[in-house]
Amino acid sequence: MSQRKVKVKVFRFDPLVEREPRYVTYEVPIVEGMSVLDVLDYIYENIDSSIAYYAHAACRHGICGGCKVVVNGKLCLACQTPVSGDMTIEPPSSFKVIRDIVSMMSEDAGGRV
Amino acid sequence: MKLLGEIDEVMTTDVLVVGGGGAGLRAAIGAAEKGASTLLICKGLTAKSGASLLAGADLTLDGRSLHELGFPGEPRDTKDKFFNDIVTQGFYLNNQKLVELYVEDAPKRVKELLEWGIKVNFSEQRAIFTSGSSILSALLKRAKEVGVGTMDDVMLIDLLTKHGRVSGVLALNIRTGDLIVFRSKSVVLATGGWHKAYSPNAGSRELSGDGIAAAYRAGAEVANMEFVTFCCNVLLWPPKWQGIIFPYLLHLLVGGRLVNSRGEDFLNKYDPTIVKFGTSMEWNKCFVSIATALEVLAGRGSPHGGVYYEPGDVPWEEFESRVTKYYPSWRYKGIDFSELRGMLKEGKPIEVGPAAEYFEGGIVINEKCETTIPGLYAAGECAVSLFGANRIAAATTEMLVEGAIAGESAAEYAKRVVMPEIDEKQVERLREKVLRPLEREDGTRPVELMKKVQKMAHEKLGPVRKHDNMEEFVRFIEVVKEKELPNLCVSSKTRRYNKEWIEALELENIVQVLELSAKSALMRTESRGVHYRLDHPYTDNDNWLREIVMRRVGDKIDVITRPVVVTKLPPTRGVVPYMEMMKRMMEAHSEIGGHH
Repeated sequence: MSQRKVKVKVFRFDPLVEREPRYVTYEVPIVEGMSVLDVLDYIYENIDSSIAYYAHAACRHGICGGCKVVVNGKLCLACQTPVSGDMTIEPPSSFKVIRDIVSMMSEDAGGRV
Repeated sequence: MKLLGEIDEVMTTDVLVVGGGGAGLRAAIGAAEKGASTLLICKGLTAKSGASLLAGADLTLDGRSLHELGFPGEPRDTKDKFFNDIVTQGFYLNNQKLVELYVEDAPKRVKELLEWGIKVNFSEQRAIFTSGSSILSALLKRAKEVGVGTMDDVMLIDLLTKHGRVSGVLALNIRTGDLIVFRSKSVVLATGGWHKAYSPNAGSRELSGDGIAAAYRAGAEVANMEFVTFCCNVLLWPPKWQGIIFPYLLHLLVGGRLVNSRGEDFLNKYDPTIVKFGTSMEWNKCFVSIATALEVLAGRGSPHGGVYYEPGDVPWEEFESRVTKYYPSWRYKGIDFSELRGMLKEGKPIEVGPAAEYFEGGIVINEKCETTIPGLYAAGECAVSLFGANRIAAATTEMLVEGAIAGESAAEYAKRVVMPEIDEKQVERLREKVLRPLEREDGTRPVELMKKVQKMAHEKLGPVRKHDNMEEFVRFIEVVKEKELPNLCVSSKTRRYNKEWIEALELENIVQVLELSAKSALMRTESRGVHYRLDHPYTDNDNWLREIVMRRVGDKIDVITRPVVVTKLPPTRGVVPYMEMMKRMMEAHSEIGGHH
């Protein structure tokens, strides 16, 4: 299994303290059979633990929909999207951003963010 | 409300349900139908989280009742036969009062689910097969109809108690970081298992034993914590598939072969009766997981700690046609497994092994799903399992049976009592503790500790156990409790969706349940059900037809053992070699077929 690296550009934004979003680029070593969620896990575990992505209750089976993100402009589930090369990861634009690429997926916390 | 100065929000309800999987939703329905104002909080997305979502999902009941519901079922089956099978499969460690409830109520719960619109894929003599998401959608729809309020991404921090009874919970809104006090007359815990204590595991990510740990801290009894079911044949590699049970289903439903690193069909060396039951029924979780772990321990494992799954002697066309009968286009839940199809067809190695999947231990409940704390109820996987030492029948039915009872009981209780007062000092103590990882400038990183704990748990408290390993694990956990948990520090200080902070809070719970589990496992000097010890490879029915029950007293664990509750089926006696006992329990099964 060849160890190659990809550049992952991630949308970062804390609407409470920042005026506008920024992008941070991480270099992530890739093994065969990694999903976008695995890449985000890698960043969280090894490079930058401050990154927010919906993972605390991810089902990893493509059903809960919690890990919905936009990768290279396309809406997808992070857990079911294979990594092919360099990428940009952003929150789904139609939802209100909570922090970084986590956005409001349901109105069920009393509609409050 | 100015009641609790530093708390962001206070909400009041008659019944609070913690958990948005099947047990929690069914409990909320039961409470709301009885007229209680009912609020449900879910750590993830309601009806889209918990082990229920990932369940196969089968619902099990006796074949005659299934026949009466309009399925073929098996008219010759009886509730008594089903009862006997569950108790023998559980190596007699079941609370037989709860098994009676299960057998009696399962048909009612299945009937209502059919009315509420679940989709049935196929059926067997004792089971119907649907999907976890179908069950959960039907339950959520019903819950909304009867007026249940739900809140997503809200994590239980701790139970609040006053004068020895429950007064609500403190919880965290994960999205905003707000702390919320829920003031309620009764609380139903339906928080599931503690999969996250292990790596690999077959659960969704939020299952960290929050409810069991909170109940223990509040002084409730927990029992049978040494029993952990490891699903066999779970994918170990590549990373995106780790923890997914698809080959387990293929091996059970379609067939295939398991080989070790020498290419040996290692199941061949076991008794043919054990292999027959242990691969064609859900007995495989117990038997194959132990057999696989023994191969790995003997140095005949795969690089990621498992063995290899292959189609075996079945011709490819036939293998594929059987697979696609159950999983059209090789699609399993939301996963496209056409890549795995290619690997299987080309004979590429597929690494599979045991992964933590179901937890028999939990909060002690009686037939009303009452815990030992007034006002506190528990249902589903977080409660001590009615399946005893080994589960073959469906946990998805257990969650419905117990959920319904817990919800109704909690509502009845709420009618009898006044709204309790909140102990403000307790809330303040908890608030300070919860915020501490955000305030520390330096310390242990949650992700590092989490990985270390998960790895140790799998190695030392996995499917094959022995004294020295468990003792080492207990010492490890004690050091973690003393030195690392009080020192957790997160890199981002924001309270807004802070994964590291959530993991710091989860670690408290994970370490707590692992401590209870390891100490129980050390104490049980025998092998029974899914608890298999190399140093005690026999089932000791003379001394160990007893539950190990633990309760917090101050900083100490108060441990007692007590005989299992027997109503109808007297347990067998004598000391029996473990594999021989397993074979006897398999052979005790009635003539009714299927995977349960």
